[in-house]
Amino acid sequence: MSSSHSYPHEPTGVETRKLGMWVFLSTEILFFGTLITTFMIFKGRDFPGIKLTDVYDIPFTSISSFILLMSSLTMVLAHNALEAKDQEKTRVWLLATAMLGAVFLAGQIYEFTEFYHKGFELSTNIFSSTFYVLTGFHGLHVFIGVVLLLALWGIGQRQKGLTLEGGMNLEFVALYWHFVDIVWIVLFTVVYLI
Amino acid sequence: MSENHIDHPTPKKYVQIAIVLGILTAIEIALYYTEDIVGVFTDPILIILAVGKFIIVVGWFMHLRFENKMVNRFFTGGMILALVLFAIVMIERASANFS
Repeated sequence: MSSSHSYPHEPTGVETRKLGMWVFLSTEILFFGTLITTFMIFKGRDFPGIKLTDVYDIPFTSISSFILLMSSLTMVLAHNALEAKDQEKTRVWLLATAMLGAVFLAGQIYEFTEFYHKGFELSTNIFSSTFYVLTGFHGLHVFIGVVLLLALWGIGQRQKGLTLEGGMNLEFVALYWHFVDIVWIVLFTVVYLI
Repeated sequence: MSENHIDHPTPKKYVQIAIVLGILTAIEIALYYTEDIVGVFTDPILIILAVGKFIIVVGWFMHLRFENKMVNRFFTGGMILALVLFAIVMIERASANFS
């Protein structure tokens, strides 16, 4: 990312759109912070119906977590390739990131389906509701990220391809994607491991 | 555009960081299965590992460690507000008033 560049002509010293992206991510922290807090209020309490610990599959979720973690690597490699003006590698890494995100999403859909079949549904109790809202919103963010990545990949396929001038767009998507990853780092620990 | 440019990590460095992240995740999973042995230290260690992974991704992959101080303040500000909210609610939950 061109994050180490300074912008002396901007009053803040930071490219305005980029600062806006970071402010957006800051609000997203509060959004997920609220959802995690709500989840934690009800975690560990006794509710009628099947418990989350009875249905989840730690090995499966661990693999999903690893996949999402590695998608952050492919994302940063895509940006690195763009800075090296290597269009081919940029496209390859972008597509790889989108595919890893899609695999994570497929895993989450499979997991939710399994939970439903085992009786842990959205309306089972208030705890299950907080679980689905929290992890579901994260999944929605991953989905949006995959769409953005594929859009960038599509732009990269055009004759001019992705340019360094337009690289800021890739940087924004990268920041968003890494943010989705750090949210999952927290969720994996808070929801599944603790 | 590129005044005060700081060199970013190389792809090799990024791969090394990803390997560290993978190892930390493996330790987390191992801790989950060895909770009976590790005992009361399991949860604090899991939280420390998650915080470590969080810092690595934010600092290296999101390049926050190379960023302008204003960007750092916005991100840290959001984190602090979220943690304050979390702390207040958890204190309230622990009290008898939250039933």
